[in-house]
Amino acid sequence: MSALVTFDGVALGYGRRTVLSDLSFAVSEGDFLGLVGPNGAGKTTVLRAILGSLPPQRGTLTRAPRLRFGYVPQRDQVDYSFPLKVLDVVLMGRYDRIGLARRPGKDDRDRAMAALEHVGIPELAGRQLKDLSGGQKQRTLIARALVGEPNVLVLDEPTNGMDLVSTTQILGLVRELHERDRLTVIMVSHALNEVANYVERIALVVGGGFRIGSVDEIMTVPVLSEMYGIPVEVDSFNGHRIVLARRFAPGEEASRA
Amino acid sequence: MLDAVLLFRHALYGALVIAVACSVLGVYVVLRRIVFVGAALAQLSSAGIALAMFLSGIGVASGLTGHPVAMALVVTLAGALFFGVEGGGRGPVPPDATIGVAYAVAAAAGILLIAKARSGEAHDIFLQGNILSITLKDTLVLLAVSVPVLLVHLLFYKEFLFVSFDRETARTLGYRVGAWNLFLYLTLGLVIAFAMQFAGVMLVFNFLVLPAVTGLLLARGMGGVFFWSVASAVVAAVIGFTLSVPFDLPTGPAIICISGALALLAWGVRRLRG
Repeated sequence: MSALVTFDGVALGYGRRTVLSDLSFAVSEGDFLGLVGPNGAGKTTVLRAILGSLPPQRGTLTRAPRLRFGYVPQRDQVDYSFPLKVLDVVLMGRYDRIGLARRPGKDDRDRAMAALEHVGIPELAGRQLKDLSGGQKQRTLIARALVGEPNVLVLDEPTNGMDLVSTTQILGLVRELHERDRLTVIMVSHALNEVANYVERIALVVGGGFRIGSVDEIMTVPVLSEMYGIPVEVDSFNGHRIVLARRFAPGEEASRA
Repeated sequence: MLDAVLLFRHALYGALVIAVACSVLGVYVVLRRIVFVGAALAQLSSAGIALAMFLSGIGVASGLTGHPVAMALVVTLAGALFFGVEGGGRGPVPPDATIGVAYAVAAAAGILLIAKARSGEAHDIFLQGNILSITLKDTLVLLAVSVPVLLVHLLFYKEFLFVSFDRETARTLGYRVGAWNLFLYLTLGLVIAFAMQFAGVMLVFNFLVLPAVTGLLLARGMGGVFFWSVASAVVAAVIGFTLSVPFDLPTGPAIICISGALALLAWGVRRLRG
């Protein structure tokens, strides 16, 4: 598998403030990587560096030539007051291919419809984006990312604020896209339990620390306890891994404090 | 009534040009939630005129002070540049507070400068404008500014829409979001600087906000929003103008009240539609 994005001793931050340092890892073709950590830990910083919108402070960050990302933003980053139809939103994924000051043509519309079929919502093409459910909005944004024919699909907190059913459906769709189309996927999330059962590798970003490995390597008591700084338990239920913060015995928590 | 309106027909044409240009740009102003950028730019424009009058009065007669519109343009475009660059909102001061500071300072500075200007007009000329004074030449100037701006917006509709709707995704597709935002603000500043000369802060602000609100209430797609925004601005300008001349009403406020009535009507239609 060839490397699409390679970090070599990279430090990332804003202005003079360094958020993460000494990052060395690669995202390879066919990867299914979960970028996981609590809010504010630096996931978005790593994501922006991968996407190329944040240059490294130190080190070398290389991207494969002609690398193209299909970006799915957090749902609340999109402004739903715009009266846009689903098809219009999906077409935006082709805007850079269409070119400056040119209008989408029939081919672009056909591809947008095909992308909607790919994510299972072709019947919603004419509906207003703002009228859709959370899961349908997310599928629309995934279709927009796919219509640009990306090498890498990048999803930023795709299940944030969703109920159990929608979360399962969206994560299932993403895994299906990875397995069926052999699409490289990077999924950013704060929900370790959700992501761990879908991705193949996990990059954990916690409190300025960074650790990357296979799900088996990361989902262990020593690694997670060290990264999160609290004792955790890792259990398995019907093949699903579950991480729990260890419950303290009465009095134990007070003595720790 | 018609005779009276025909007497001021050039002013009506000028008002219509301002209405169309502002109501198109106003769709972005409202959707991007930057309505007070419009107000602040209009105030900056008026402060520019006041500055030109003040400097001219104390004998500083450069090219700029001799042409208040040129000074207004410089000050407004500087403001547009500032808001366009600062629009990201990552600084220590929230963007709306910056806009508020610019609005308050520009309004006060305009009043102070005009109070001390030897050739100044009444203060409320800045607020209300003097739309009836528009001549055929003024209308042609307004057209010369507005038509290229509208053509730019027609040509780059897809780009302006994308960076307004979802800037992060636009950035990942290689769009220089900051540059496009700046471009949008500069077109806005250009139209406001010229419109302000005749329409005043209040009417320019009205044309930037109310027609777009009407459009958003009535339309179900972006094309419809632009259509209803322009249509309601034109209707408000024609009715407001027609009523104000024979009944000796201030034209700007008459147009604004009609704009408000149309927005209210659109809200009613929206409620009836469910």
